[in-house]
Amino acid sequence: MIRKTTLSVSALALLIGLGGLPAVAQQATTTDEPRTEIPPAAATEAPAAEAETTTEDAPAATIEEAPAAEAEATTEDAPAATTEEAPAAEAEATTEEAPAAEAEATTEEAPAAEAEATTEEAPAAEAEATTEEEPAADAEATTGQETGDSVVTAGEEPSAEAEDGPDAIDAAGEEVGPAAEENTVETEAVAPEAGEAAEAEHTEIEGDTAEEEHAAGGHGETHTTDVDFSFEGPFGAYDQFQLQRGLQIYTEVCSACHGLRYVPIRTIGDEGGPGMPEDQVRAYAANFEVYDDELEDFRPATPGDHFPGSALENAPDLSLMAKARAGFHGPYGLGINQFVNGIGGPEHIYSILTGYTGRTREQAGTTFYENTAFDGGWIAMAPPLAGEDVEFADGHANDLSHEAEDVAAFLMWAAEPKMMARKQAGFTGVIFLGILAVLLYLTNKRIWYPHKHRTKRD
Amino acid sequence: MSGIPHDHYEPKTGGEKWLHARLPVLGLLYDTLFIPTPKNLNWMWIWGIVLAFCLVLQIATGIVLVMHYTPHVDYAFASVEHIVRDVNGGHMLRYLHANGASLFFFAVYIHIFRGLYYGSYKAPREVTWIVGMLIYLLMMATGFMGYVLPWGQMSFWGATVITGLFGAIPLIGEPIQTWLLGGPAVDNATLNRFFSLHYLLPFVIAGLVIVHIWAFHSTGNNNPTGVEVRRGSKAEAEKDTLPFWPYFVIKDLFGLAVVLLIFFAVVGFMPNYLGHPDNYIEANPLATPAHIVPEWYFLPFYAILRAFTADVWVVMFASWITGGIITAKFFGVLAMFGAIAVMALVPWLDTSSVRSGRYRPMFKWWFALLVVDFIVLMWCGAMPAEPPYSTISLIGATYWFAYFLVILPLLGVIEKPKAPPATIEEDFDAHYAPHTGGTETIVKPAE
Repeated sequence: MIRKTTLSVSALALLIGLGGLPAVAQQATTTDEPRTEIPPAAATEAPAAEAETTTEDAPAATIEEAPAAEAEATTEDAPAATTEEAPAAEAEATTEEAPAAEAEATTEEAPAAEAEATTEEAPAAEAEATTEEEPAADAEATTGQETGDSVVTAGEEPSAEAEDGPDAIDAAGEEVGPAAEENTVETEAVAPEAGEAAEAEHTEIEGDTAEEEHAAGGHGETHTTDVDFSFEGPFGAYDQFQLQRGLQIYTEVCSACHGLRYVPIRTIGDEGGPGMPEDQVRAYAANFEVYDDELEDFRPATPGDHFPGSALENAPDLSLMAKARAGFHGPYGLGINQFVNGIGGPEHIYSILTGYTGRTREQAGTTFYENTAFDGGWIAMAPPLAGEDVEFADGHANDLSHEAEDVAAFLMWAAEPKMMARKQAGFTGVIFLGILAVLLYLTNKRIWYPHKHRTKRD
Repeated sequence: MSGIPHDHYEPKTGGEKWLHARLPVLGLLYDTLFIPTPKNLNWMWIWGIVLAFCLVLQIATGIVLVMHYTPHVDYAFASVEHIVRDVNGGHMLRYLHANGASLFFFAVYIHIFRGLYYGSYKAPREVTWIVGMLIYLLMMATGFMGYVLPWGQMSFWGATVITGLFGAIPLIGEPIQTWLLGGPAVDNATLNRFFSLHYLLPFVIAGLVIVHIWAFHSTGNNNPTGVEVRRGSKAEAEKDTLPFWPYFVIKDLFGLAVVLLIFFAVVGFMPNYLGHPDNYIEANPLATPAHIVPEWYFLPFYAILRAFTADVWVVMFASWITGGIITAKFFGVLAMFGAIAVMALVPWLDTSSVRSGRYRPMFKWWFALLVVDFIVLMWCGAMPAEPPYSTISLIGATYWFAYFLVILPLLGVIEKPKAPPATIEEDFDAHYAPHTGGTETIVKPAE
């Protein structure tokens, strides 16, 4: 009997444990793990003025490497490295920006783990098949050359930095850090056979893990960075101030094209949401114009109205975007890692915003931008964030990574505004059902006792 | 009600006698609640209660959801968002309903596989089994139509694919498809009729559930030994059974509480885990999703549907012999419905003289393989229809049919089953040894 009871108890414990497991696991892993990823192929290009034959059209064969002009910043297994882009400088004759790839240490502990190599391109008049490149090792990004510059920042673990960083920084074009075989940040000069000012820069960050996962950015395989959001896990909650910052980014940047048509404006005043004060909600609503069927005219929006829909026809509505995409699918398409990482909607948004490689291509009159997180590798949306797009009133960091995080968190709230109430209800339900289960277990044991422990009658 | 001898309801007070003479409803309740139940039922027998709870949960949440839902292609998606964002408690109702469907199917699959293992389908319980299969079919229809109602991308394209299956039927297929859809394609008419049927069918299910319970209350429950309750006398029957109340009610409620605990954890902490992200995109007839995937509970049968492609020899043979009437698509449809049909026919396909799988040494392994097969098919159903998944699906589908059509009939002849205990009491006592004169008898448990 004792055996049986223990069995039942452990079975119960197991079952209860199972209920809590995903929760606990989620909690544990999200907090323990920093963003572990190396961008697969962060390539930046500086499309210059009269590049008729763009490098996108040119297959890899036409891209010639100039090994002498190669600057390699070595990173060792950089677990905290993510790629971001920042348009570094304006190309000479065009207004187009030359985005630069920047792999930055995202963990707070490794702020020093930045190795920056600023590369400068020689005027391409002489660049027939070879371009010269003189990577300057500098602590801060010195941009603003006439030609497109690219800032390559390699985030590393402090230890890795100590060994490899100086080497990488020292590398002045021909010198390469000794540990370069592990993960290399290569800056290669690429010279398409274009005219005078035709020049392009191709920055590539390679890594073993990156190579395993995606040989190329645009072959179906997409990359999602696991961001440690505050709202993950069974007890995770939205960060009110992060949502407010995200709202600001949405308002100042995203809303130019995208809409939030299912989201009532009043909800930005909700508790468990951005929690804006009522007067600010009203003032915010007045920024929008909505069409009133009764007035048969436009009028300023009130908190009771919804956000406007998308301004551009091909810009999807963002109300549910954070739930309409899954960042994680594996292993083997089973989606089991979603137990640990979450489904990955906001992570997908974050990865899209930070996943631009800087390469572009024209197709049927539309410009596509290469993006490592986008399915298919080429997205029609121009890089919406470059870092320092908005100024936060609270002085919060406004680099690309932080902006992308904030707006991803805001969109998660937009998609799932009742998350906190739901978790609360779920938690209450689990607690009460747990108590009920224990009581029923004891009752059950009590009523069966005489039958399982009777004396033999016959 | 059941054939097992037991006490019957005796009206005592005047009021009870008055009512009993006019409507013996109290007697019915008494007989149902105190039905003698084999006392050796294990934890696999709790799923019936879980299923009953699911039905009630779905009807209760569904009725409230309907109060706020708009069955129109222009408003359906927005009305679901309205429920989640504006209706008090709407987000919980909606997630309870959506995940409730998953719990419903999870429970029904365990319930079905329990029946398959312990031989619950065998005489005299064939009717219970068949009614159960009808309930399962209706559940699938209801679940499918319910998934269409939010009018997301998967709703729309799932509906397009599944109703397209009927179009594969030769000659009459297309008129049937048009009749089902209410037009040439999935549109407002489809949404409206699915909404109507989604509301209706659960009540049909409820009716069939009563028949299901009535049927097994007439034959008595099966039990893990597959040995029948002794019915010679009331005293004899009482050695094998205990009344449903309170012994099994409390036990089942305990099981239910544990299951619901997990269910609430899912609803509270990861309510979208079992859904498809694409269903958060409003239906767009012009944009086909990359992979059209049904809900997880249809995946094994979806895999069987897709397994039979035109390059499979059985399909080619069927096509050749019927002069091309049976196309690969139609064959797939036949296979999918056939996979459920063979399961429904299992009472007549299993030839073994022993009921419970516990005493069938060979059967155990084939059954375990069937469970694995089911899970593998579920996985294949979620994968794109390309190698190696198509091959694995085909193997899995073949085994599914082989199990029911070949292995089960043959096993009854080949296999030499172990001897089950003579009575349920014997089995029970083997687990819970009765004391003899104060010293504990050491009896090795059978399991």
